[in-house]
Amino acid sequence: MTRRNAARAAAGALAVLLAVAGCSSKAKDDDGGDNGSASAGGVKTDVGVSAKTITLGALTDMTGVYATLGKSVTQAQQLYVKQLNAAGGVCGRQVALTVRDHGYDPQKAVSGYTELAPKVLGFAQFIGSPFVAAVKQRIDGQDKVLVLPQAWAASLLGSPYIRVIGSTYDVETINAIDFLINEKGIKKGDKIGHVYFEGDYGESALAGAEYMAEKSGLTIVEQKIKPTDNDMTAQVAALKQAGVKAVVISAGPRQAASLVGVAAAGGFNVPVIGNNSAFAPQLLATQAGPALSANYWVASPSLPIGADTPQAKKLVADYRAAYPSDSLDNGVVAGWSAASVFGEALKKACADKDLTREGVDKALLTIDAFDVGFGSPQDFTDPKAPSSKESVILQPDKGVTGGMKVVRESEASSVAEGYSPGA
Amino acid sequence: MSTFAELLLNGISMGSVYALIALGFVVIFRATEVVNFAHASLLLAGGYVTASLHDDIGFWPALLAGIAGAALIGAAVEFLVMRRARGGDHSVLAIVTIGVDILLTTELTRRLGTDVLALGDPWGDAVLTLGPISLAHTRIAAFVAAALLITVFLLAFRYTSWGVAMRAAAESPETAALMGVRLGRVSLGAWAVAGGLAAVAALFLTVFPTPGLERATSLAAFKAFPAAILGGLDSTTGALVGGLVVGVTESLATGYQSDLAFMGRGLGDLAPYLVMVAILLVRPAGLFGTKEPARV
Amino acid sequence: MSDLLATQAKPRRVLRRPAARTCTAAAGALLLLALPFYLDRFWLQAGLFAMAAAIGAIGINLLTGATGQLSMGHAFFLAVGAYSYCVFAADGGDGLTGLGLPTWLAVVLATLVAGGAGGLFSPIAGRLRGPYLGIATIALIFIGQHVLFNARDLTGGFNGRDVPPLSLFGLTFDDRELLVANVPFGSAEKLWYAGLVLLLGGALFARGVLRGRPGRAMNAIRDHRIAAGVIGVPVARYRAAVFVLSSMYAGLAGVLLALVFQRTVPDYFGITLSLEYLAMIVIGGLGSVSGAVVGAAFVSLLPQLLTRYSDALPLVSAPGTGGIAPGEASRYLYGAAIVAVVLFLPGGLVRVAARRRFGRKPGEER
Repeated sequence: MTRRNAARAAAGALAVLLAVAGCSSKAKDDDGGDNGSASAGGVKTDVGVSAKTITLGALTDMTGVYATLGKSVTQAQQLYVKQLNAAGGVCGRQVALTVRDHGYDPQKAVSGYTELAPKVLGFAQFIGSPFVAAVKQRIDGQDKVLVLPQAWAASLLGSPYIRVIGSTYDVETINAIDFLINEKGIKKGDKIGHVYFEGDYGESALAGAEYMAEKSGLTIVEQKIKPTDNDMTAQVAALKQAGVKAVVISAGPRQAASLVGVAAAGGFNVPVIGNNSAFAPQLLATQAGPALSANYWVASPSLPIGADTPQAKKLVADYRAAYPSDSLDNGVVAGWSAASVFGEALKKACADKDLTREGVDKALLTIDAFDVGFGSPQDFTDPKAPSSKESVILQPDKGVTGGMKVVRESEASSVAEGYSPGA
Repeated sequence: MSTFAELLLNGISMGSVYALIALGFVVIFRATEVVNFAHASLLLAGGYVTASLHDDIGFWPALLAGIAGAALIGAAVEFLVMRRARGGDHSVLAIVTIGVDILLTTELTRRLGTDVLALGDPWGDAVLTLGPISLAHTRIAAFVAAALLITVFLLAFRYTSWGVAMRAAAESPETAALMGVRLGRVSLGAWAVAGGLAAVAALFLTVFPTPGLERATSLAAFKAFPAAILGGLDSTTGALVGGLVVGVTESLATGYQSDLAFMGRGLGDLAPYLVMVAILLVRPAGLFGTKEPARV
Repeated sequence: MSDLLATQAKPRRVLRRPAARTCTAAAGALLLLALPFYLDRFWLQAGLFAMAAAIGAIGINLLTGATGQLSMGHAFFLAVGAYSYCVFAADGGDGLTGLGLPTWLAVVLATLVAGGAGGLFSPIAGRLRGPYLGIATIALIFIGQHVLFNARDLTGGFNGRDVPPLSLFGLTFDDRELLVANVPFGSAEKLWYAGLVLLLGGALFARGVLRGRPGRAMNAIRDHRIAAGVIGVPVARYRAAVFVLSSMYAGLAGVLLALVFQRTVPDYFGITLSLEYLAMIVIGGLGSVSGAVVGAAFVSLLPQLLTRYSDALPLVSAPGTGGIAPGEASRYLYGAAIVAVVLFLPGGLVRVAARRRFGRKPGEER
């Protein structure tokens, strides 16, 4: 009895299943709908583009460890999209940015990618290079979707679809040490300390520092830390003991503030230079503020938000109007630049009448000197190299918007020019 | 040598802050046999109250308000949640505190957003220099405060009726209740005290050399876990010794990173846990913990 | 879903409960088998995460729920499973250590290695009681993270390493499309079935353990360790064995997760993951297989649902517009769920379902 019932139910369900499977929306129809179709304007499109909208994705972190960066980048990109749409959009279509917050959780990041990948033309933002690496197979393999990661690890280079904007951390660190040599009197035979985060960012920077040290005859004294370490007293003691003449820090803003503060208080007055991510304007209001203004520099892929260019001034004014309570930092510049690059590629692709993923990627490969008004022109023709090898050297300054002023204009050191990342 | 002395002194002063956090675990564990994973959020709460008030009412009143605020939150957690879940298995109660921690931490980090808040303390970045060794004033203050508070608790456990009630409750809740100890009040008090201690610890965790209070501050509680365990979860002295061991281990492992590079760099976080495991292998109840009496 | 089916079957339940149950089970099974034909990759992947979580949660429920040993180091054993699989199965083409074994063998070996890691910890697991063990196991997380970031040759460091796709009987579970009834099958669709098999196997085995003599012995240890010893349960041996078994479940879950992720990254295997597993078994129900499965589904699907439908939910606002972000909303709900379940639904979500279905007293259903 029981068994017959079950068997009957099973057989019935199986029949229904097989009948319906044919009409599953996932089933392939043979019309070749995937291979790009021409719309009214004669523009070829495939994924993420309809007659009225172009959908872009943003995988960000607004509730996790990179919340500060994620918030600024996302808001700047939303601002860009709003202005782009107000100016008529691209190809007669409005641009929509779909944002997913992964909170720096690998599972959520991969899920977010899986959700958005079949819906969007490309990703204007993807925070967290381990997560980009996690879906790299799919980006390069079946999805072939353009991704602009908001991470500057050298390990991301090389894919034709994952394009890092601006100099990677290793190149940036080379330029930072170049600044120490040229301006701060570091010379051959000196020791310099390198305090770096465990993970993609710090270890990428370390690769640059080691390369530079070898080329310039310096010795690196390593201090590896974790993002949870907030007190740099022990690190400073160790570096002092080792007799370093300067310190490079590839960590977060808090660690930089602690390091500079402790060093200054202990009378250990060596110049400290950090990567782009090792500064936040909020720090100038804390006790470390004066020490930071006196003895700290930052290498950055672009001019700061408070730069003296018309584009920067306009961005500051617009961003202030849109998000009056949020701080203006370099994340805004990074987000704006990435969105602009994507917008530029879209416009080119539109002019070529090919708004497919492949079309956008091709369009990006033709952009060789794109300048959004933040210093260095970006060259996207070689997927193996970062789009720029230049860095601007900044110094914290309370009086300037965004808390940073320029002390050395955008340039690439000779060592950085000859360096091939990831080698 | 001077580096060693400097690292040792820094380790001791940092360790005294860990000891304060560990003492919070111990107080709650003695009163209720529960490991409180919500301590991290109490820490953040205390720091947040102090940080957001100091501009308006000055540092010392703000600190008092922070202590009171965290104590109040601790008491509220006991009253609203733990009391009602009493009688459950101890691992279940521990997991409930994880739930409470998630709730409180999410709320506080949402409020904090991406800010780094200064606490407005009077010590600033002043440094005491003794020959080649320099030590921040904040660290000296931390050590003094921790030593004072821990002494007070040692005495209180031994001599006040509250301490006696707490020890009785930990020994055998039924017997204590029959003897007229109000278990609810004992555990309410313990949670409030733990909250207050967390607020003091939060102060010293966020002043110079660290830049200020921010969302990751609460993670310091993970450094106090090994402190509380290796000293013995039910021992006040253990909390002090455990805190110091953890502080010194961490400081030395970081400072001599280059010499320890064969074990991989960045040992600072890991070293206290390795010491803890080593001690637990020899003394399963920690250095000063009481062994569980076997009752059938 | 099962509630719905259960109510339909209700009128006859007194006479033919087994039949109704069989029908329900058969319908549920068919539904699960049919899903890859309809759902898109996002949902299948979410389901696979839930399946992997369920396997891991069954493991920790044997340990914490049934035997009363608090473990916060579960994520470590997941990592051991995931990375061991990579080491055994990879061919070393990416410059990292790889033994190039057949992938099915790699799955088995990875599970065994995770069990072995649990065994290595047993000198500590065997002698520490409740809270001491809980905190001692946090050490595993820190050790694990340190090794994952530093043992470059094995783990690939911060960037993780690629996971070789599973290959069974000539079928490779990768993204090369395979047409089944005109539906293209990628890795998620194929792995779905592998996940179902692993979960079913794991669940049946654990149920066998819990319902048999070992289960009663484990519960006796949880309820009164010394009394259990007195009545002849070899306490130390059982505790060590359960720790090993639980680690093997975690290892298997880690392998499945790695296969779904297609790349293992160290950031994933942190303390948060361990806490999630504890939350799963408390929310679902301590000490039972069904509790672990229900809790795993709840905890791993909740954030995905909230993030995906953030636009449509009241109170929750899209990221970047201020207000409560979906990530935060899911953390609130998940924290509140732990507290609420312990306070109001002792026994977890399964106990509620069980009571409604069969009107049994709590404590009987397992």
